[in-house]
Amino acid sequence: MSLIDLMTMAKPNKELQKKILSGLWEVHPGECFQCMRCTSGCTSLKLLELKPHEIILLVNSGFVEEIVSSDIIWACASCLKCRERCPQKASPYDIIVALRNLAVEREVKIPEAYMKAVAQILEIGLIQQIQTVTSREMQHFNREKLGLPKIQYADDKFKAIFMKALGG
Amino acid sequence: MKVAIYWGCKIPTAQYAYEMSLRQVFPHLDIELVDLKGASCCGGPVRNINTSAAMYLSARNLALASQTSLDDLLVPCNECHFMLSETKHRITNDEEMRKKIEELLREEGLTYSDNIKIWHVIDLLHDVVGIDTIKAKVKKPLKGLKFVVHPGCQIIRPSDIGRVDSAENPKKLDALVEAVGAETLDYSEKLDCCGAALLYSHEDAALSLAGSKLKAVQDYGVDGFVDTCPYCHIMYDTRQKEAATTVGGKLSLSVLYYTQLLGLALEIEQEKLGLHLNQSFKPEKFGL
Repeated sequence: MSLIDLMTMAKPNKELQKKILSGLWEVHPGECFQCMRCTSGCTSLKLLELKPHEIILLVNSGFVEEIVSSDIIWACASCLKCRERCPQKASPYDIIVALRNLAVEREVKIPEAYMKAVAQILEIGLIQQIQTVTSREMQHFNREKLGLPKIQYADDKFKAIFMKALGG
Repeated sequence: MKVAIYWGCKIPTAQYAYEMSLRQVFPHLDIELVDLKGASCCGGPVRNINTSAAMYLSARNLALASQTSLDDLLVPCNECHFMLSETKHRITNDEEMRKKIEELLREEGLTYSDNIKIWHVIDLLHDVVGIDTIKAKVKKPLKGLKFVVHPGCQIIRPSDIGRVDSAENPKKLDALVEAVGAETLDYSEKLDCCGAALLYSHEDAALSLAGSKLKAVQDYGVDGFVDTCPYCHIMYDTRQKEAATTVGGKLSLSVLYYTQLLGLALEIEQEKLGLHLNQSFKPEKFGL
């Protein structure tokens, strides 16, 4: 849902705000003074209308539930310009990551591809299976044909520990 | 010099040209690469789901690196480089996170150590091997060719955790291209992101970001585009045709990994560098 739709009925939720803030490390959204340096350099501003300074303002105002439920937190390209350039160490990037984590925890609908990647890691340790690729001349190649050494997928022990790390 | 290497996910499962060219080029520069045994994902995509689980994955790979008893770890993927560096910074300074991760590692008999120095291709070549050594090793200088370089985002930012080059004015990759006898062009889109991370949620926007950068570069009239990250390479080379549809024009720009370019200057055969796997490469433009 869009943020504007969600904001029409919005109520600040101090508990969720506390949850987001307590999970941060070396990041200080409370110091943000809305200079908009983040937004002016944001990779996703033009195409996806992501405005990182607004995300910070909403977190600081307690509207965490609304942003967590909004698609806008999935528009970040992780280019890290906002984290680099923020003069106040408010790092919108880290806030967006924390909001994404909270969305997963609250079982909000998230882009499927992320869950697929996690499922693949649980299965083989990597985010995708070993692929056969096609050359410019339309010939197929795999690792062996290219003379690359064999690689091993993860064992059951790894899978069990990773599952535990995910809190499952 | 012996260096451990962490390949990540994208390189050993699909971006074979990067792996092939890395394996070819480094021995020529007297660097022996030692593969990690049992490596897994760095946690990059997992970070969006669960940050501490992602850091466990990174720490696990760093622990595997310390098992090799080598101090240096080469991480040729920008995303993996960021994730491993971020995790190292966090567990060095955050006791609580360190305890949590060490407990998980112990279950597999692994121990985390702070000693591992994390390198990327760019700084290992520029700062350790050195421009002069590369110049001296070049057998066939790539004279008359002009490139733009794309260092990518996550190896130059955020500078507070220590990155491989300047966050706002990176020059090392330019210097490396110039070391093989070619020219580079400074351009205003240099820091623009490839968009790969958006493939998870907004594929059209991702391709559009890649397409508009390629279009701008093509209009500068250079001979090629040089990158050093499997994700950037997927956007600019593997998916160049799809990216072209977003800018309403034909894109025809040769995109190469730096290690492939260096390999050509070292007179390594094209096939051994995986150049036949680059979808956008035009051998005739390079006199091949």
